[in-house]
Order: sequence, then structure tokens, then C-alpha cells
Amino acid sequence: MNLIPTTLADGFWHWLWFNEKAKSSAGVATIGDELFMYIFWLSVVWFVFLMGLTFYFVVKYRRKPGQKLVRSPAHHTPLEIAWTVVPTLFLVYIFFKGFWGYADALVAPANAELINLKAQKWAWRMTYPNGAESPLSTRFTYTDAQGNQLTSAQDAPIFVVPAGKPVQLRMSSMDVIHSFWVPDFRAKFDIFPNRYTAYWFQADEVGDHPIYCAEYCGDLHSEMYAILRVLPEAEYRSTIDGWAIPWDQGPVPVGKVLYKTKGCAACHTVDGTPNTGPTWSHIWGEEHEFEGGGKAVVDANYIRESILVPAAKIRKGFPNQMVSFQGQLNDRELDALIAYIESLGANPPAPGTGHSETGAETEPAGSN
Amino acid sequence: MTTLDINHGPDGATGRPYHETYKPASHFRSKDEEFDAVKIGMWLFLATEVLLFAGLFVGYAIFRMMHPEAFRNGSHYLDWKWGCLNTIVLLFSSWTIATSIGNAQRNEQKKLRRNLLITVACALLFVGIKLTFEYMPKWSGWFIAFDPALSHYESDTSALGGLLHHVPGYGGKRPGSLFDYPFAENPYEPMWWSIYYCATGIHATHVLIGVGLISWLYIRARKLHFGPGHYTAVEVVGLYWHIVDLIWIFLFPLLYLIH
Amino acid sequence: MTTLHGEIPGAHGHEHHDGSYLERKGGMVSTIIDWATTIDHKKIGVMYLVAVLTMFFIGGVAAMLIRYELFEPVRIQATGDNVGQISGTALANLFGQKDISVAKADNIYNRVMTLHGAVMVFMFIVPGIPASLGNFLLPLMLGAKDVAFPRLNLASWYVYVFGSIFGILAIVMGGVDTGWTFYTPYSSSHADPGHWRVVFMILAAFILGFSSIFTGLNFIVTVHKLRAPGLGWFDLPLFVWAIYSTSIIQVLATPVIGITLLLLVFERLFHVGIFDPALGGDPVLFQHFFWFYSHPVVYVMILPGMGIISETIAVHSRKQIFGYKAIAFSSISIAAISFLVWGHHLFVSEGELVATIFSALTFLVAIPTAVKVFNWIGTLYKGSIQINTPMLYTLFFLFTFSIGGLTGLPLGALATDLHLHDSYFVVAHFHYVMMGGTVIAFLAGIHHWWPKIFGRMYNERWAMIACVLVFIGFNTTFFTQFFLGTRGMPRRYASYPDQYQLLHQISSIGAAILLIGFLLHLAVFIGSLFAGKKAPANPWGGLTFEWEADSPPTTHNFHHEPLATHGPYAFDDVVPPHCDPKDYPIADPLPAGSKRH
Repeated sequence: MNLIPTTLADGFWHWLWFNEKAKSSAGVATIGDELFMYIFWLSVVWFVFLMGLTFYFVVKYRRKPGQKLVRSPAHHTPLEIAWTVVPTLFLVYIFFKGFWGYADALVAPANAELINLKAQKWAWRMTYPNGAESPLSTRFTYTDAQGNQLTSAQDAPIFVVPAGKPVQLRMSSMDVIHSFWVPDFRAKFDIFPNRYTAYWFQADEVGDHPIYCAEYCGDLHSEMYAILRVLPEAEYRSTIDGWAIPWDQGPVPVGKVLYKTKGCAACHTVDGTPNTGPTWSHIWGEEHEFEGGGKAVVDANYIRESILVPAAKIRKGFPNQMVSFQGQLNDRELDALIAYIESLGANPPAPGTGHSETGAETEPAGSN
Repeated sequence: MTTLDINHGPDGATGRPYHETYKPASHFRSKDEEFDAVKIGMWLFLATEVLLFAGLFVGYAIFRMMHPEAFRNGSHYLDWKWGCLNTIVLLFSSWTIATSIGNAQRNEQKKLRRNLLITVACALLFVGIKLTFEYMPKWSGWFIAFDPALSHYESDTSALGGLLHHVPGYGGKRPGSLFDYPFAENPYEPMWWSIYYCATGIHATHVLIGVGLISWLYIRARKLHFGPGHYTAVEVVGLYWHIVDLIWIFLFPLLYLIH
Repeated sequence: MTTLHGEIPGAHGHEHHDGSYLERKGGMVSTIIDWATTIDHKKIGVMYLVAVLTMFFIGGVAAMLIRYELFEPVRIQATGDNVGQISGTALANLFGQKDISVAKADNIYNRVMTLHGAVMVFMFIVPGIPASLGNFLLPLMLGAKDVAFPRLNLASWYVYVFGSIFGILAIVMGGVDTGWTFYTPYSSSHADPGHWRVVFMILAAFILGFSSIFTGLNFIVTVHKLRAPGLGWFDLPLFVWAIYSTSIIQVLATPVIGITLLLLVFERLFHVGIFDPALGGDPVLFQHFFWFYSHPVVYVMILPGMGIISETIAVHSRKQIFGYKAIAFSSISIAAISFLVWGHHLFVSEGELVATIFSALTFLVAIPTAVKVFNWIGTLYKGSIQINTPMLYTLFFLFTFSIGGLTGLPLGALATDLHLHDSYFVVAHFHYVMMGGTVIAFLAGIHHWWPKIFGRMYNERWAMIACVLVFIGFNTTFFTQFFLGTRGMPRRYASYPDQYQLLHQISSIGAAILLIGFLLHLAVFIGSLFAGKKAPANPWGGLTFEWEADSPPTTHNFHHEPLATHGPYAFDDVVPPHCDPKDYPIADPLPAGSKRH
């Protein structure tokens, strides 16, 4: 049902407000855009009428010296009832229309692809039905007026979803409240620690859509981007199959996948540059000094503790920022990460430091 | 005087008591109008007090719904007898302060002073019981020597010449991260203690404010400030004291009598 | 309302024929002591005016810093290898912080953003109109000598200053980055762990609540008990109705934020776990508690503004207000419904039932608000409209407040709110209501009553130029933000993707124009204080009691106790006090026996 003529709901006016059409065919997006344009034109009509009347009165009844006042009614009951009831009718309509769109947003179709979404300060993680996670990431790049190449400050992960199929996200947070917003899908929902919330959409066209965090969550709130990439369903399947963790290839390739998919890459680089956290390149065997004194050599136990109890030893010059991965990584995954860090090179480089995974390293750390 | 006359001092010229010569502040038309204004103001303030505790009660209701076992277990550690005794103490003090208003109206200065003193004593008794028999053992495991509950337990150390006895493993029932009780049965018991200490602590603060206010009344009563002509302060502090009492009447069953 | 000459029976009567309340008492020191210990509602009103405008200045500086930072997004310059130099960190450069990480640069913005919100909400706009103009005018409009509890009034000012000092202390110690809403668990466990400044900021809001309660309680009792003889409830100026409704909200809503903030302090200090999900608590409960206060408080902010507009529009168009009772009752019904709509801040965090109920209730509160706008415009009909600064601001208010109200519709409707929630559309909407509504009405009121308060006229021409600058600056700053929101810009972002840059830059330029407008106003006010023409007692031809008093009023407000003999807006029939009938010709008398409106 069209609320208003297409010329007013689409084209220039729609571009002015939204830039592009909604990219989800879920009810909240289609009803939302339609309702927004309807409210917009309703507001324009009321506003122009009221302000026109005000302007007309101000000009017509401006004060002229010595002119006597003219009596006019101090109230007019039928008029007052009319201007109470008529707006009420419009509001009732807007309320119901808004309710339909919202009801649609809350209940995902039964055939929806269920994907888990975890939010943490300040990264997103999607876990696909086969357990895979996306290793892809990108930075927005720009060229400023002086011709300098600029990029956004953090790597934004790229998540893939199938086109033409409803997708439901089961969302939870690892620390504070976040909110998942894809403006192109015209909907957002908050994400809480210790609780699941849901979100669904259906993107019919192939394309990339930015994801923003819409609930203030601290320092890098404004850098908490991700890209949602809509792929044809067959390509989506093959992509996530390709991301499944290569358990059969030994710990180092597994660690490399985990580094990208578990959010480590948000704060740690593997190329030697410090980020929010220290780099992983050539730290094996290095002696680290800690905030508040003390030092230790980087080995398997130190890395394990740093992942599970990050606050126990804070390397000098870095903030106490990391959340615990206790319960997020199992022992096999920890082993893989440790092996991956070891594979990135030792400092000082010395032959024979290539430890193999021994039983001692897989014992519970007994901390916490 | 260039500003408004608000408080007229005792009439030095005639030596008559303050309450006989009392005149209302000059922006009021009469004593009655001033009395009504102060009373409406106090009722409004009491409305804010009720709403303040209403927030606590809503929190209580929600968390009891979320973690009923924690509340049942936690409540089990409270001794209803102390709660009941404190209820009686407060109810009695409400009666004495209500009587003191009548004393002021009838110019019974001696009874007025006595009733105010008893009210203060009851308020202090309430806080004393709360601190020595309830907060202290639960928080720290230290009992006062004449605490009847102490006979159930074996103490390991004593202090202050045997006045205080420590029972190992009894204390540590503290709010939130301070919780240190070794025999907790429910992971959410720290939250029960949070609610318990917040609710009773804020209430006890109100009792202590009441102690200050009623002591102030007593000092003024000694100077013969109150009588048939003027007893506004006694009346409104009385109202305050009734609300403090009423809030306890709600807190007592909600905290002590969960079974 | 005329002054009754002679004594009123029953009123006790030493009438002082004293001087202006602004008269200096001896030297500098004794003048300061006199002001610091005054229980005169007029002086306290002026002290509040100075205090809240100081806070407005601090909050305004933060606002300018926000717009300064957002002129350019934060970027890393990709110079060959991955080692980046940061660009677009205007605030970090301003504070001399070179070579810092993006996280630290963004953190500075987050602190400035919190500072702007907390100062503007808790220290400026909530106490703003009621405590300054309300304090000065309420007893005058009622024909009383003072508020019911003058010492409580002074105490409330000191509590306000004390609370503000706590807030300033938190800022001086480095500021807080929780956002003014203090959402848990971020505020309780993540923001600046172990630092006292967050606790100080929360305590500041807690202490300011007492000031709010004291003022509200005082005003309610004053309206009930200290109306002049003959002044019935429906003879009250609409400003008084607005302040009365505001006071009810203040008294009933503030205790809830009191207990909430207290629990938040406990939460921070002892991790009691009530609002922290990691300890079994519920962060959404905090949001419910918080908005149960903070939504009604939106009406604490706007209702006094509506009251001012009701006064200025009637006086400057010399017209009986259209639908007096409708406006009065809409104030009360807004106050009542305001307690039932808090959940519309949680459409994207709570389930369907909560959202549906609160969406419906939100539309319900739109109706009395719309009725007020219709009534104001109806008042202009067949009036005698004088365009001066207060009237210009009144028309400005009608323009911006209507936009603010209408843009509330897509936020109240559930389907559209899922997109617009926490976006710049919300930022624009509440600035149109809070600034385009309350601040603009405040400015209308300050100009309207300036001659009464300080006894001097201001420069009308320059004030009107400043008003036009504020109008242009305001709309440039905030109208662009509606488009930012619908196009996907989230709020509280220190940086943004490129496609939003043009709109952000236009907005920042608008903020600069706004700043110039405000500075011009400041200059006009200072000029008026030192070199303004002496104000007549009734420069606009108002009929309410305050215009019967001298400009500035005497210490005891009136030379004789006033008596109400006509309605507050009976311009058709009454020549205003202290005015010449030639300048203020009244309407022809009605034929005998005809029905009066």
C-alpha cells in the first residue's frame, strides 16, 4: 500500500534523506522508509501551514500606534476539539504503521540462516553455522585534499552473508553494551553482556554494507566498524567452508586463522608495529618489563596467562585494555596461538628455541 | 532590617516565652498560613522520601524475582528476633513523638522534654542494635560478648578484654566484591547482601538524621520554644519520624521474613 | 490586577517604603556578604541566573570543541609501511598532545562530549529557567513578598553551587568519559577504573538533585499558600502554571534518580552487582531507573520555556491568550504523562510489549504539546503585534520547537526508530527541542524581563541582530544533523566515514555563527548594565503583578499588598499599570448585556 504518491516517496526526496534505497527487504526497512517519507510530508504540510499562518498574522496584525484593540474570542470549543482530535487520528495511524514494521523486525522467518555475533570493545566477531570465522579485514582508504593517502584507524572485519535469504543474528557482548546498526538495513538493536538479543534482515542484492556500533562503548567507539558483504548463496557457502579452521594442518596455520578471527588482530600486529597492544612479531624469548615493576621472558606460560588473565602482567607502555579470553578459547586453540606467536620469530634470534608443544603447556594455568 | 523578618528571637523586653510571642515570617499573612505552608512542604518532602525508597523496593522485587534462592538463603542469616525488637523500638518511639506534639499543644513542658528524650533514646537503641548485633557479626565475624547468638558458636580470639569475640567463618557476609563468606550456597548471595546493606544502611542514615532533628527539638524545648502558640517544628519532625518508622515496617518483613 | 491603596484587613501591616533590591549596602565587602546571605528571592534568582549562565558558557565551550573536532574525521596517514601518523585529531593538537594513539585522541573527544552533556543537562538546563527567572518572578506574579521558605531557597542555591563544584572537580581531575547517561556496565566497571572523578561526577548529579527538589518543593507551597487576595487558580499567569507543573515533576522524579545514582556509586566502589551483568545484575534496569527520571526531566526543561512563551506572546501581541484553560491543563497533563513515557528510550533494548506500550504513550504526550502550539498561533489572531527581541525570539521558538516536535514523530514510531535511535537524527531532534525550545524561550524571557530585573533597557537593534544570527547559526548547525542521522551517522562518534564530512563541516560553521550571536548578546547585556537607559516600570504593557512593581522591584516587591481585580491577559479592557492610555488604547466596551468571552 502506498501512503503517498511515488514521486514524493522516492527519487530526489528519498535521496535527500537516505542517499540510497534500503538494502534489506525485511518489513522494518520497507515499512520504515515508507513511514518516514509519509511523516516527512505530513510534517511539511503542517509546518508550512502553521508557519504561513504565523507569518500572515504577524504581518497583518502588526502594531499600529494609537489603534484600538479588536475583541476576538478567547477560546472556541469546536475549533479546539477539532485541533485535538485531527492530529490524534494521524498519530494513531503512525503508531500502528510503526508497530507493524517493528513486529516484523522482531520475528525472523523460520528458514533464516542463524549466525552468531559477538561484540567486544572494539571489534565484531561473527561465527558461522560451521564454526568458521571471517579472516578478512579492510581499512577504508581516502585521499585528502593535499593528495595524502589516508586510512581509517582500525582494521574493519569483513563478514559475508547470503543474498536472497533471511539472515538472523544471535548477538551478545563480552563487556559493555554495544548496538548493531547497519544503516542500509534501517535497523539496529542493542547487544548486552550475559544476554542474547536478535536481529534479522534479508539482503537481495550483492554488495557491501557498513556496520556501526551505535551504543557508546568507550575510546574507540567511533572506530568500531565492520563490513557486511552480501554474496550469492552458493559463493557464501563455499566461502565459509573455506574459512573453517584447518585443524588437520597443525597448530601454526590454526593459530594464524584464530589470530584473525578471534579479534586479536584488532590490537596486536604481526609486522612489528605496536598498536593498542604489543606486536607479536619477534617477541618469543624477549624480556618484557611490566607496569608497576617486574619482568619476565616471553614463553608459553607467559602468553597463556596474558590471554586468560590479561591484567596480571601489563607490559610497560601499554594500557590495561584487554578483556579475558577465559572461556572464549579452549586449550587446543591456546596451543595453536602460542605456536603461531613462536613461529613469528624469536628475540634474540637463536637456534634451537623452537620448542614443540609439551604437556606442561597444556596444563591449566591454575590462575584466576 | 532590610530583608524579611523570619525568625523573631525570644522577647527580651517582656521575658515571656518564645512560643507565646511567636510571630510568623513577614511574608505570611498569619501563623496558621505559615503552619499550613510548612506542613505541605514537609508532606512533599516525605513524598520524595517514599519515592527514594520506592526505587529500592522496585530493585528488591526485580532481583528477588531473578534470584529467589539467593534471597531465601540470605534472609536465613538474618535473625527475625532482632528485627522484631527493632520494630517494637521504633513503633514505641513513634508513639512518644506523637504524644510530644500533644504535650506542646497543652503546654506540658516537662512531658514534652521527656517524650523527646525517650524518642532520641529509642532511635539510638535502634541503631545500636543494628550495628552491634546485626552488622558487626555478619560483616566481620566479631560478636559482642553478651550477644545471645554467640553461645551457638565457638570463638577463636577475643579482644577488648573479652568484650568482643571472633567466630571463624561467620563473617564476610558483605555486599558485592567485598563478599567473603566461605559457606555461601548461591552465587548471587553477594547481591542479596548488597540490597540488604543498601536498604538498611540508607534507612539507618535517616534514623540518624532523625536523632539530630529530635535532639534539636529537645534543645529548643528546653528554651521553652514550643507551646500552644507555636509547635510547627515538633509537628513536622514528628511527620518525618513516622515516615522513617513506616519504611522500616515495610523493610522488616521484606528482609527478615522470607520463607 | 491593580494595587489596592490602603491596608487589607487581616494582613499584618508594616509596609516598608524601601528602595530597590539592587541598592548597594555599604562597601564592596558588605555588599558581597549581603548577597551571599540574602534570603530575598530576587537576589537568589539573579545569583542563579549568573550561576546557570556560567555553566551554559562552560557547556558551550565544550560544544564548540566538539564541533571543532568533528570538522575533520580522525585518519591515519598511510605512509608506505603500516606506520601511521594521525590526522584530524583537532582536540589533541589543541591540548598539545602530539604523537598519541587514535584511542587516546578519541578519548579526549569522549570526555569533552560527556562534559558538554553533563554540564548542559544537570547544571544548566534543568535548574535554568525555574531557578533563575522562576525564582525572581514567581512571588512577584503571585503578589507575594517572597517564596514560602526563603532560607531553603538560599540553601538550594548553595547546594547547587556545591554540586557544580563536584562536577567541575571531576572535570579538572581529567574529566569522565561515561557519557552524561552513565550507562552501566561501562560507567561502573570500565570507565577509568579506580578513579574518583567518575564518582565525583555522579555525586555532582546526586547533589544537584537536592537543589532541584528544594526549589520545586518551595514553589509548590508558594503557589498554594501565597497567592494574593483575589488571585484564583485560573487567574494565574500561565508562566506560574508552567512552573507549578515543573515543580511537581522535580519533586516526584528526582528522588528516583537520587537512589539510582547512589546505587551507581556503590556499584562503582564495591561492585555490588545490581547493574552489572557480570555479577548477576541487570544493566537495562539502570536504563529504566535512569529514564524514569530523565524523561520527565525533559519536561522540567521545556515546560518553563512554554510558560515564558505564553507570557511573551500574549503581552507583545496585546491579546487575551487563546484557550487559557487548554494551555494550563496541557501543562498538568504533560507533567502527568511524562512519567509514563520513559520506555521510549529503550526501543532497541527491550522486548515488544514494553516498546509497544511506550510508543503509544509517547504519541499521547505529543497531543497536549501540539495543542499548545495551536493556541499560541491562535493568540496572534487579531492581536496588536509588536516586533522586538522577546517577540522575535517567541516566533523563533514557534519555528524551531515545531520542527523539534514534528521530528519526534519518526522517533516515537517503532519501525522508524529502529533506524534513527542513537543516530544524529536524535541529536538534532533534542537540540531542536532543548535548545530551539528551552534556550530560545529562556532568551525570550531574559529579554522580556531584563528591564524588570535590572531596571535598565537593552539595545533593541543589536539584540535583534544577535537574535537573527542565533537563528541562522542554530538552524545551520542542527538542521544538517537530521540528514546525517537518516544517512547513517551514529551519535557520540569522534570520527566518521568520509561521506558525512560535508554535512559535518556545514554544521561546524553554523556553530561558529551561533557563537558570534551569543557573544553579541553578551555584549548587549553588559552594555545595558553599564549604559542602558533607565527602564520604566512597565515597558511592554504587561498586566500581570510583576509589572506593577518598580523596575527593579523594591526589597519587599510591592509598596502595598496587591489585589487581583482582572485576569492576567485582559488587554481588551484594562490599561496596563504605569502606562498611558494613549499608548495602550483598549477595545471599545462591549454592549451592555452581551456575553463576555
